[in-house]
Amino acid sequence: MKKDDMTGISYPKLFCFLILIFILITLPGCWNRRELDTLAIVLGAAIDKLPGEEKVRITAQIINPSAMQSSQAGAMSADTEEFVNFSETGTTVFEVARRITTFSSRKLYWPHNQVLIFSEDLCKHGIDNWIDYFIRDHETRLRVRVLVSEGEAKNILEEKVTLEKVPAREIGEIVDGLAVTSIAPQTTLRDFLCRMLEDTGAPVAPLISLKEKEDGKEAKISGTAVFKKTKLVGTLDPFESRGFLFVTGKVQSGIILVKCPDSEDLASLEIINAGSKIIPAINDGKLSLTIKITEEGNLGCQMCGSDLTKPQTWQFLETEQNKAIMEEAMASVKKAQALRADIFSFGEAFHRKYPLRWNELKENWDEHFANLEVNIEVESHLRRSGQITQPPHHE
Amino acid sequence: MLMFRFFFRKLNYLTGLLKTKKHPKHENSGKTEGTDDLKFHRSLNRNLALIKSTLGESSDLILREFSFGSEPRINAVLIFIDGLVDKTLINESILQPLLYDTRLVGVDKEFSISGMKAITRRMLAAGEVELTDKPDEAIAHILAGDSLLMADTNSQALIINSRGWKTRSIEDPETESVVRGPREGFTETLLTNTAMMRRKLKEPGLRIESFIIGKRTRTDVALVYLQEIVKPGLVEEIRQRLRRIDTDAILESGYIEEYIEDHPFSPFATIANSEKPDAVAAKILEGRAAILIDGTPFVLTVPMLFIESFQSAEDYYSRPYYASLVRILRFLSFFISIMAPAVYVALTTFHQELLPTPLLITMAAAHEGVPFPSVVEATGMIIIFEILREAGIRLPRPVGQAISIVGALVIGEAAVSAGLVGAPMVIVVALMAISSFVIPAQIDAGTIMRLVLTVLAGFLGALGISIGLLFFLIHLCSLSSFGYPYLSPLAPFSPSGLKDVFVRVPFWAMLKRPYGLSRYNGLRQKPGLMPSKPSNKK
Repeated sequence: MKKDDMTGISYPKLFCFLILIFILITLPGCWNRRELDTLAIVLGAAIDKLPGEEKVRITAQIINPSAMQSSQAGAMSADTEEFVNFSETGTTVFEVARRITTFSSRKLYWPHNQVLIFSEDLCKHGIDNWIDYFIRDHETRLRVRVLVSEGEAKNILEEKVTLEKVPAREIGEIVDGLAVTSIAPQTTLRDFLCRMLEDTGAPVAPLISLKEKEDGKEAKISGTAVFKKTKLVGTLDPFESRGFLFVTGKVQSGIILVKCPDSEDLASLEIINAGSKIIPAINDGKLSLTIKITEEGNLGCQMCGSDLTKPQTWQFLETEQNKAIMEEAMASVKKAQALRADIFSFGEAFHRKYPLRWNELKENWDEHFANLEVNIEVESHLRRSGQITQPPHHE
Repeated sequence: MLMFRFFFRKLNYLTGLLKTKKHPKHENSGKTEGTDDLKFHRSLNRNLALIKSTLGESSDLILREFSFGSEPRINAVLIFIDGLVDKTLINESILQPLLYDTRLVGVDKEFSISGMKAITRRMLAAGEVELTDKPDEAIAHILAGDSLLMADTNSQALIINSRGWKTRSIEDPETESVVRGPREGFTETLLTNTAMMRRKLKEPGLRIESFIIGKRTRTDVALVYLQEIVKPGLVEEIRQRLRRIDTDAILESGYIEEYIEDHPFSPFATIANSEKPDAVAAKILEGRAAILIDGTPFVLTVPMLFIESFQSAEDYYSRPYYASLVRILRFLSFFISIMAPAVYVALTTFHQELLPTPLLITMAAAHEGVPFPSVVEATGMIIIFEILREAGIRLPRPVGQAISIVGALVIGEAAVSAGLVGAPMVIVVALMAISSFVIPAQIDAGTIMRLVLTVLAGFLGALGISIGLLFFLIHLCSLSSFGYPYLSPLAPFSPSGLKDVFVRVPFWAMLKRPYGLSRYNGLRQKPGLMPSKPSNKK
């Protein structure tokens, strides 16, 4: 054998090495290779409880790429829908998801799933068995948005939407858009799971429902679904929902309506910044809790004619704003105490501050929570009045 | 096991074949030995017969017989090759003085005493003459374009430099055009090229060593370097490698390149070439040596570093900020050009989850109905692109336009609307193609890298791309050019060398010659040359 002077490798060995590499590459044979046109890309899934023993119906909304093709195939795509809903019933999620391939030419592909909608009915019976698959499987993502539907979840995915091509995407965008109204929490599967696993776990999810309109129906966020551990126990209306978000410091933006000083007309204030601090305390064995909410707002719009930027009226607006926030926050606390669901993670606050006493508190936390004395302090400011100071119709 | 043994046997047999064919008898060896000590005879006729027998009856061989001097006239012959010589010089500076003026001067007496020297001293109006008595040398000079003067009763012949053939004038180099900077490029004539180097570098230390390589082509090769800057070991190494070449023909610098490179099996070029005298001068000034070859405008410079591929002469003529931006863009383009199809294949066949949802939907829509797997689509498009490129280069210019129309219309438009290829794939391949032209020095290696990476991506996805890139990186790290690490100053790392890698710092900040190529790596300028506005003090 001739040795290469530089490398000391003999040629036959080198050839063999190359052949081995070639075999190594080709024999596994493109393992797990999937072309784009073999995938049924799931953009949304709805899970409904069916009457009967532990039966579930899964509706997967997948895109129909050939209808998505722009320009060239225009004529063809006019009468085909951009999405297809596949529904199948069964007893476990995985089995159902797999069985969909018996009537679909493509296999469900989950990573791009945008929304996971559970029906109210299913949630009341306990959600844990139905999210197991979505947490366990490697293809599904914890970033998927979780929603609870009033009525059947499948119907939500079937309503046609106008701006987006696929309803699931539209719903996903609506959930993202909650940031500007803060009337419901934005919950991903990960958030939901984290809250569920806490000692005092009371996860929440936005509530979605179909509302009638002139031509057909449209899906709309209508509040917050409150879970206790794994079971749905009640709902918060938009007013209470924002109170909940104020308490937890998750308000990003929103509009607060307050009365003008001298009339019954309203002014709307835009929330530009909000935060909160939860301070638990135990005095003589009695549990109490102070919530400090800070907020900053701008004057967004006024319906009355008076000049609101004068110091005394400005002050008045700030006080009104304080009151409004206080009311919202209080309402949410009252509602949660009534439901005995610690959606604010007050328990965790106590746990952090009194780690040694937590074990005993934990035993009876529902009782403690329901009877918890909650003080709310709101410190809010109005900063700017927009691009004008006086209203255009000011006398 | 049995199968491997079978392979081994086959391979041993094959290598055995290679070994026996390795050293066929060199056809030229020993041929010249007999004539080495041969000398010209005193008789002109015998000498003429010798030359005629060596050169044969070629139509372009001119034997001009005449006689000069007063009585007795001396018979002489002037031998040259038609087309290689300057006719005016032959007529006016050689024949005219000998035929007419010798009668007036009366050179015959002196000729009988001091022979050819007398003619050189008194009669010839030519600049470069040389005496020889060796037929070999004389014939070599005739073939190179000199003329040979022989006279009866004298065993010495006079070689007169009368070279003057048609050459191309100095033109804008086509492979390296610049917006700003010198427009002259090397030509096919070695002498013009060495003169251009002299004009760039007027330092007395500029050395031009000449070699003649090629048994049949007898190509002139010149090694050019700056005595004070180049490392002596490098020059000695180049000399040895050049002398080692014993072949019949050197027609282009590529021939030399393959005989002297460090890594003959690497897809990467370890010897740089350039058509621009200013670029070559700059490289010589950094401590490199240049190899000029007669018959080609491409000049080799050694050693070559990988980052030289990303440097352009214009980087040094435009302002540093823009030059640095362009430099970074070139690195980006290089990665796009080798990786774009591979990444596309990996993303669409293995890692669909890495794409943003709207992008995935668009790509899925575009891929709908395409009959081929992505990897086939990608390799097919790359190969079609290479074919189009090759056709565009080889075809005569007027026909070349047809190629671009066919390429753009048929491949780009029709294939997409027929649903044979997805539109994103066409975009990716077009992007890759344009990016690859940004780094002309690595186009050939880039093409190979791109194909390997694409196929690996088709089999193994992102893992395949990582394996491929690692393989190439390790290979690049192992390369050297005349002993200098190919990837320096990145690996081995040298902070001061970085002044001319990803960015190009202003000249006054590049105090030293980069990369440690030069003898002292010393200062190339006075420190503190940074200019500033005039101070306000008066």
